[in-house]
Amino acid sequence: MSTLAFLLNQSVNALSQAALLFFLGVGLTLIFGIMRIVNFAHGTLYMLGAFVGYSAVRITGSYWGALVAAPLVVGLLGTAFEFGILRRLYRRDAHAFLMVTFGLALVTGEAVRLIWGSEALQVPAPALLSGVVFLLDEPFPVYRLFLAAAGAVMAFAIWQLLERTRLGLLIRATSQNAEMVHALGTDVNMIRSAVFGIGCGLAALGGVLAAPLVTASHGMAASAVIDAFVIVIIGGMGSFLGSLIGALLVAFVQVFGNYYYPDFALAFMYLLMLLVLVVRPGGLLGKEA
Amino acid sequence: MTSTRSLSRRSVLAGAGAAVAAPSIWTSAQAQAGNTIKIGMPLALTGPLGSVGQQQKRGAEFHTKWINDRGGILGRKVELLIEDTVGNPATCVRKAQEMVERHDVRLFTGITLSSEALAIVPKLNEWNSIFISSDNGDGRLTAASLVPNFFRANTSGPMGTRAVSLYLRETTHKKFFALGLDYAWGHNSVQVFEEEIKRMGREFVGKVFAPTGTKDYSTYITRLRQSGADAVYLVLAGDDNNAFIAQAAQYQLASRMALLAEQLELSTMRAVGDACLGMIVSARYAFTIDNPKNKEFVELWKKEYDGLVPDQFEGEQWQCQQVFVAGITKAGSIEADKLRPALEDLTIDDIKGKVHMRKCDHQGVQQGFVVKASKREGFSHPVPEVIATLAADRVTPPCNKMTYDD
Repeated sequence: MSTLAFLLNQSVNALSQAALLFFLGVGLTLIFGIMRIVNFAHGTLYMLGAFVGYSAVRITGSYWGALVAAPLVVGLLGTAFEFGILRRLYRRDAHAFLMVTFGLALVTGEAVRLIWGSEALQVPAPALLSGVVFLLDEPFPVYRLFLAAAGAVMAFAIWQLLERTRLGLLIRATSQNAEMVHALGTDVNMIRSAVFGIGCGLAALGGVLAAPLVTASHGMAASAVIDAFVIVIIGGMGSFLGSLIGALLVAFVQVFGNYYYPDFALAFMYLLMLLVLVVRPGGLLGKEA
Repeated sequence: MTSTRSLSRRSVLAGAGAAVAAPSIWTSAQAQAGNTIKIGMPLALTGPLGSVGQQQKRGAEFHTKWINDRGGILGRKVELLIEDTVGNPATCVRKAQEMVERHDVRLFTGITLSSEALAIVPKLNEWNSIFISSDNGDGRLTAASLVPNFFRANTSGPMGTRAVSLYLRETTHKKFFALGLDYAWGHNSVQVFEEEIKRMGREFVGKVFAPTGTKDYSTYITRLRQSGADAVYLVLAGDDNNAFIAQAAQYQLASRMALLAEQLELSTMRAVGDACLGMIVSARYAFTIDNPKNKEFVELWKKEYDGLVPDQFEGEQWQCQQVFVAGITKAGSIEADKLRPALEDLTIDDIKGKVHMRKCDHQGVQQGFVVKASKREGFSHPVPEVIATLAADRVTPPCNKMTYDD
């Protein structure tokens, strides 16, 4: 394998991993930006996405059906959770959210175990995406290319949503000064419900996209929530662009770090986070130090 | 007024009487509870190796129901105490300690990870407890780290690796690479494999270890491709096995090199489907092992679990429970000082054939099996087909060792 082929393969691969991390991180950061709460259930919702995806494939017979169904179902669950429980807690301090989202993670995790059992389940990639392409004579899975593309498309779409639409305008305004937006006659609670739902839906989309790589398993939740936090801390709490940069940085550092120094595989992500925190305590694009 | 008062005094007296009587009721209830044979199982029910712990739990529960329906052991019912350790050695020690102190547990099995088992064994003497391993692979447990109260009923990691190596002597693969999980069991098995390959006079081109819970195996797959090996030996389990096999299939790795593995559970075969077809694996237990006891066991299992067949660690746990039954029956007691000599040199003949718990290092001497992930009628996923059965004396290492001489 030539050096160039190696670099190309690993870079495209890092992009595919960045896409998965981005779906996790962007949801968490959007929720934090608007609501100032850290959603501890984020990893569990990512896992739930994979399991809902599994059922959707079984029911609709198509992976594409799962790609639509998983974010939709989990997004609606998230909205309902915000509407039914979180909304009652906005006057309280951050501890209340910590406890209640942690509770959501526990309840969802056990519910998944009750509904789908405790074994990993197969979510195969669709036939269209299950082959390989040759990048400089080295085989590369089409599915990973698809992940990288899906990440780019979604990043662009979310950016457009935030910058070009009225909802995006309201989201940005709410994150800057919720009381003012409220005073100007906008129902801030509706925006919070919507953003919480979108954030959860994005996590679920990440989960169903990851499922053909790792199978739908309970183990997805624990590592996902840590990855999501690291990305958000690196990028800066509440920053959309920050989560994108954070995901790319973590993915590249992990892929190349793992290759050259496999003994330190677990350390790279945290070293990167430490470095960023030392240089910029609020994260790369964060405002709060 | 007076009568009411005397009545109330009488009821107070009655109450006091009941209170005095209560301790004796309590003791008899205690004695009743104490009459069961308690087996403590601090299992990794969740976490990356959760699927292994879940199998151990099912295997033990199935056996307990079966033996209790037959009157238990020594006329005493068996009771399992199960706790989740998430695969953390410190948690495992704490939960086991609780079982000893609060529930007077004297028997242990099912501790899922070798790292957990290595943390438990130094405590066994203090706890006056016997621990019979049903799945711990690390060779050190019956070598450098052996303690008198530890026994291993299962095929160890070195024995699994040895079975595959003996099989490989009949094949033409020349260059080997190894990928293991970055903890006790992975390192131990890769080391044994490396030595076996070198002794065979073939080339061992490299090894790499991945942390448990790795999600992206692409860099490891790249490393394998670059190694120039024509066969890779995998020492992975649970979620890691699922992720690696699914991703290796997406990279079409099998077209480059043969995939050999120390472990491929049915749960992984179900989770990755045809991605594992053709893999050559050392099986500690497979439902397809051909002997009458196993056939009977598989039929019983199917009846209990809606037609599902028993998985690797379900079979291993059953065998381990059978060792408990034979040992306790022979000893007539669960006291460590009586049970230990009873277990030493005990032989049972069960679902994997003869198992002899040898006295010198407390390892269960038993046959080795090599299986191939194959299609079979009636199954929607690949299943293990036995392609080689290796004699117990060739598979089991010399006493107190984890490497082989020939």
